[in-house]
Formats: sequence, C-alpha cells, structure tokens
Amino acid sequence: MHRSDLLRMTSVKKSYGSLVALKGVDFNLREGEVMALLGENGAGKSTLVKLIAGLAQPDSGSIEIGGRSVKLRSPQHSLEAGIAYVSQELSIVPSLTVAENICLGGHVHGPFWTDRRLAAKVKPYLELVGLGDVDPSSFAGGLSVAKQQLVEIARMLSRNAKILILDEPTAALSDVEIEKVLGVVKKLASEGRSVIYVTHRLGEVFEIADRVTIFRNGSSFDPVEVATLDIEQLITSMLGRRLNEMFPPRATELGKPILSLRNLRVAGMESPVNMEVKRGEILGFAGQLGCGANAVIRAIAGLNPVLDGSIAMDGKTVNHRDPGAAIELGIAYCSDDRKKDGIFAGRNLVENLTSTNLNRISPGGVISAAREKATAEQLAQQFNIRIDRLQSLAGNLSGGNQQKVALGKWIGISPSILLVEEPTRGVDVGARAEIYRHLRVLTEKGLAVIMCSSDNQEVLGLSDTVVTFFRGKIVRQCEAEAIDLPALMRDVTHPETNSPGVAA
Amino acid sequence: MISRLLIQNLAPIDAGDGNTFARRRKLSLAFVGIGILALLLFGGLTTPGFLTLDNLLVIVRAASITGIVAVGMSYITISGNLFALSAEELAVLAACIFAYFMGAGFDVVSSVMITLVAAVVFGSIQGVVISRGADPIITSLAFGALFQGLASVVSGNKQMLLGSNAAEWLGTGRPLGIPMQSWAFVILALIGWVVLKKTRYGRKILLMGANKNTAQATGLNRTLVVIVAMSVFGLCCALVGISGAAQFSRATATMFPGLNIDVVAAILVGGIALQGGRGSPLQAAFGAVFIALLQNYMLLHAFTSGQRMMVIGALVVASTLGYHYLQGKR
Repeated sequence: MHRSDLLRMTSVKKSYGSLVALKGVDFNLREGEVMALLGENGAGKSTLVKLIAGLAQPDSGSIEIGGRSVKLRSPQHSLEAGIAYVSQELSIVPSLTVAENICLGGHVHGPFWTDRRLAAKVKPYLELVGLGDVDPSSFAGGLSVAKQQLVEIARMLSRNAKILILDEPTAALSDVEIEKVLGVVKKLASEGRSVIYVTHRLGEVFEIADRVTIFRNGSSFDPVEVATLDIEQLITSMLGRRLNEMFPPRATELGKPILSLRNLRVAGMESPVNMEVKRGEILGFAGQLGCGANAVIRAIAGLNPVLDGSIAMDGKTVNHRDPGAAIELGIAYCSDDRKKDGIFAGRNLVENLTSTNLNRISPGGVISAAREKATAEQLAQQFNIRIDRLQSLAGNLSGGNQQKVALGKWIGISPSILLVEEPTRGVDVGARAEIYRHLRVLTEKGLAVIMCSSDNQEVLGLSDTVVTFFRGKIVRQCEAEAIDLPALMRDVTHPETNSPGVAA
Repeated sequence: MISRLLIQNLAPIDAGDGNTFARRRKLSLAFVGIGILALLLFGGLTTPGFLTLDNLLVIVRAASITGIVAVGMSYITISGNLFALSAEELAVLAACIFAYFMGAGFDVVSSVMITLVAAVVFGSIQGVVISRGADPIITSLAFGALFQGLASVVSGNKQMLLGSNAAEWLGTGRPLGIPMQSWAFVILALIGWVVLKKTRYGRKILLMGANKNTAQATGLNRTLVVIVAMSVFGLCCALVGISGAAQFSRATATMFPGLNIDVVAAILVGGIALQGGRGSPLQAAFGAVFIALLQNYMLLHAFTSGQRMMVIGALVVASTLGYHYLQGKR
C-alpha cells in the first residue's frame, strides 16, 4: 500500500448489557483518505465511532494510532491523539459568535481577547472549510444548518485534528448544502487529513469515499475500494440476507377500513394527511428523523393535537385529545423509546403485562392473583416470552424481550389499532424476525398496525402498504410490492433527485 | 413479629435470575431490621432503664406518632412524588381544629369527624396542585407555611384547651396495655401494606412510581393516584394531631417539633427508594421504630434537643448518600 495506516483497530469487542454491539471488529484508516461507514441501524457503526471518539471504551481489542497502541479513555484523550468527532446533533452555541464557537473549549487564545483578535485567529480555519466570506463576529445562530456544520468542522480543525469523524453530516441538509459539505470533506482529505464518514446515503459513498467499511450485525467486512463496487453489491453486502427470510409473508386479503385520516393537519407535517388503514393491514411509514411520520402517529395516539381535519374510526369522526381517550377507542401506542414510556423497568413482567388491563385482574378493586397470573401467562405465551421469566424485572431483559413486553402489554385490551414507532430499535436480528412475525399474527386476527421506522428494509419487508415521508411531506403512498429499496431510499433522503445511482 | 413481617414482605418478590432490584430491597429491609435489633441490644447494655416496660411503652408511643405519618407518606414516596414536607404543620392544624370544636362544646365523635374531613381536604388540595405537575417538595413546603399560619390564627398563638377531658382516652388509652396510637400505627401499617400489594389502587401507585411516562401512556390516571395519596397523608397527620391534642387536653401551634424530618428519616432509613416504584409502608414503619429508638436512646443519655436534631440530620444525609450509592451500582 502506498499510504500507511493511520488508525488500526484489531478484534475490538463492545457490549451494552446483554446487547452485543461489536463482536470483534477490525478496522483501519489510511492517511488522507475518506472512509465511509455503512450499515443498518444497530449494525455497530456508531458504536465503533464512539470508541474512536473516546465516548465509550472497548471491552477488549486494541487501538493503534500511527503504529502506537493507545487507550482512548475520554473525548479529551481522543482530541489529544488528533481525533475530532462531529456528531449528528450539533454543539454550536447560537448565542455566541462564529469565532467564539470555534475557540470554545480550545486553547487558541490567552487569558484576554478581543473580537478582532479572535476573528484573526479563526480566519484561516474558516477559509479551510470554505466559509471565508462569513463574518467571524456574527452570531452562529444566524447561520444555516450547513454552515453551522462547517463551523463545527472548523472548530475541530483548530484543534489540529488529523482524523475527522463525521456522523451523518448531511442528514438535515438540502442538496446545495450537501454539495458544499462534501466539497469541504474532499478538500480536507486531499490536504492529508483522514475522514471517517458515517452515512445512510449510498450515493454519497460513491461521490466522496475512497474506501467503504460495511457493518452488519456487530461485525465488519474488510474495507473495499469504492471504485470496484456498484450500488447493487453495496446493498447486498449491507443486508447480508434475502428479505424474505426475515419477514413474514404479506397479507393476502385485507378487511374493511378501520381508520381514516382526512385532511389531517398536525404540527410537524407541512401538508395535510389523507390515508386509510384496513383491518389486517400493516401500514409502514418510512422516513428519517424529523420527516413527520412520528407526528402523524402521535396524533392518532392522542399525543399531538389535531390542528385541522379529522381522524375517523369505522367511519365516525373521533378526534380524541389525549392518550386515555385513544386507549378507550382501542388505539394502542408503543413509542420509539421503550425505556422511557414503554415498560416499567423496575417492575416484573407480570405487572408490566397486566398494566394496561388492571380492571380485568382486579374485580372490585382487589387484585386477583389467579386472574393476574392467567392474563400474564396468556400474553407471555402469545408473545413467546418464557413463563419462568415472568417474575424477572423488565429492566433486566434484553432489548428484544423488552420490546415484546412493550407490545404484549397492549394485546390484553384487544386493541383494534396498534401504533408502533421503531419496532426493532436496539433489538438483535434473531428477535427482530420474531417481532415481525408477532405483528403479522396480530393482523391476521383483524388488528391494524401502523408503524414508522427509519430502517428502510424493515418498512419495505414488513408492510402491506408503504408511505414515504420527507421533511413534513408525504412523498408516496403505494403497495409495498410496487416499490423497491433504492426507490424507497431515494424517497426518504432525496426525493428531488431521480437517478438512483447518485442518491439512493 | 418483626422477623415474620420481614418474611411476609419478602415472599412475593422472590424473583428469578439477576434480580438486582429485589435483592436490594431485601438488603434494605434487612439493614433496618438489624439496625433496630442492634440499637435495642446496644441501648439495653449501655443504658439503665432502656429496656424497662415503661420506657418501651414510651418508645412505642413515640414510634407510633412518627410511624403513622410515615406510613401515610410512604404512598407519596412510592408513587414517585418524593415527600410532603407539610406533615408537622398539618398535624398542628388538625390539633387546633380538633381543640377548637371540642372547646366549642361539640362531642368527641363530631369533633374527630370534622377534623378528619378538614385534613383530607387540606391533603387533597396539595394533591391537586402536585398532580398538575408542580414540584411536591415546593408545593408541600408552601402549604406547610399556610397551615402553620392558619393554626396560629385559629389558636391566636395561645394554648387551646379542649374544655373537657371527654377525649382524653384517645391520647392516653391503653387497650390491652398498648397505647391507642400504637394500635392505630400497626393497623394503618398493615392496611397500607395490603392496599399497596393487593389492590388496584396500590398497583397504580407502584406503576406510577416505577415509570410516570409509561403509566401515562398506558392510560393510568395520575391525578387520582396523587390526590388519593395526599388525602391518605392528610388523614394520617390528622390522627396524630387529634391524639396529641387529646393526650395533653390542649393544642398549641408548636406541638410536633421535628416531625417532618423524623418522618423523612423514617422513610429513608426504612429504605424506600426515593425515585419511587418500590418499597412498602412496612418499610416506613420499621424506619419509624428505628428513629424512635434512636431518639429515646439520646434522650436517656441527656442529649440536648439541638444535639438530637444534629444526629437525625446527619442520619438523613448518610442514608440519602447510602441509597444514592447503592443505586449507582445498579
């Protein structure tokens, strides 16, 4: 190889409780290259990045920088080793000036400074990221998101970073802005810095990366030269399996419409929503963070107020206003954060599973141990939860089992609509397939499921009908059979572009 | 009796593999049990008159005062609403109301009923405010000032005599040789425990405390849970106020000094988790017994009231830190 390895990681392992995030991963990064990291949600790429950034420590394995073994115990350690991490959530302080933001937490000034001195200090870094025309004394809050992103990169450059980690820097940007950020990334690499670039957008990989490391299910493949790849190969490597092995067959026949949204307006959606869900149907919302899909789901759950239009069940307008009313109507809701509001971590599974249905297990206000046990065991059986774990606390279960409890607790009240956000977040692959199967079994009994997910394969594989969202607008509503993965990916990331090879 | 209660309380939570929460609860109950036994032993060996029947009765009565309120407060803590710091003030106000109606010539039963109803109302008003999302500590502190002020106004800052000794048995009676307060304490603690473990309302308290957000998402009514918990607390404060006024045939606006901190200490020493969702009124009851033993020991050793307050304060700090540490090791 003509370029030396700047960073090398060997058989790195990392677990969070019972969830194995990295199962012995090798990784290397050369000087002056852009290395893309690709993988599904939960495949391990963000864990790897956190280890490099010093935000987490590996359980075992070694990290070498420039041939020397290092321990990166904190973000400060990583910075000193020349590694800078720009996370998805920007840490720009809007009420400080651009110059102050760049110097924030660094050592580029003495004990006294003036605006002019700061401006002079940061000018070269601003020019490095193509912001030479920005006034360093202006407030950072006045800049566009893309420019804030670049200011953040400038801050990292001011610390003399040799390795830049960019975690989905373009997720919230428009096309023109993306071009600008990508241009800066290319320029930095050509000046000899190394960039680790985490992304969901396959198009960007071809545009800027020299090599790509693909993550799947906690393992990584050897890096591949991008020039030798095409987009089909990339998708196959990412998935590592055929979709039909993971997902149960689709519904053959749908029932009567049960829920319809007419000109529904909610905060978070720019245009009114019209759609219909039938009994036995799984309706899948695809979209990225902030796309509006969650806003629609939460409106149906009674958590987001309906600004205009109507929600109708069985033809009758309901427009309920709170979660309690939604539950009365038979609408159950599982949020994307089960630890926050999906389970009672400190209580056992019996109490978790019966929590939605206290009236049934406590006739006359007194809890009947027999009814409680029967209800819990019936639900546990239905959701394939081991009966002998019913006395365990929900917080001690694996992510997959917790998700089964979060879903299972609703089945006791026989809801007619089940709303699920991110049904398999933090769930390992084996339990995923099981959860998909459970959801399908429920719909076969006449339940309707509306789910939203940022995992595109999941939406495509599980749903009968797919709705794609992009920035508060619905891009497409169609049968799942009528759309393929590249088209779906384009819808949720880049609906303006039409050639799948560029921005899938 | 202590060990039997311990076993009863432990039986239903004997859980399977890796159950750290349950293990910790067993630990905390064992701690306070051992603490009580150790204090009894140590006190008996080093303090003449500590283990006499008369002194034990004094201890039991003192434990009952703290314990009745602690049992009432335990629902607030377990439902995830920390403490109500208006116990002392509400008990004082209840004593004054009781004395006022007794002094005005009402019979004992009417005076008791009026006082209980008033205290439940005062408790539930705090519950309404807290259920709107107000901080329970600040809310109860403010209501405490309000109650104290009201008690001063009602009493005119003077002793309020009951006028007759018709109610005296409520404070000094000893059916089967056991003080009235202690009967009330034991019965309340047992009822409180059964209600928490065996009824729908108790389950709601536990779930609410375990995770407020999940409770809301599953449609549990937080308002009702909090208001009932605060009403129960008000009722318990009133019982203490009435028995105090009856015992001394008078009420003053400074009747129960240090009750708030004693009750908080009892809850903490009993090992009820501050973040809610775990614990039982029995733990609060054991905590109260421990505090009463400690107070009595210090009294017999001629600690001044200032010194005793310092010890209780230090104990609260130590147990807060202790549980914080245990929680951190989860």
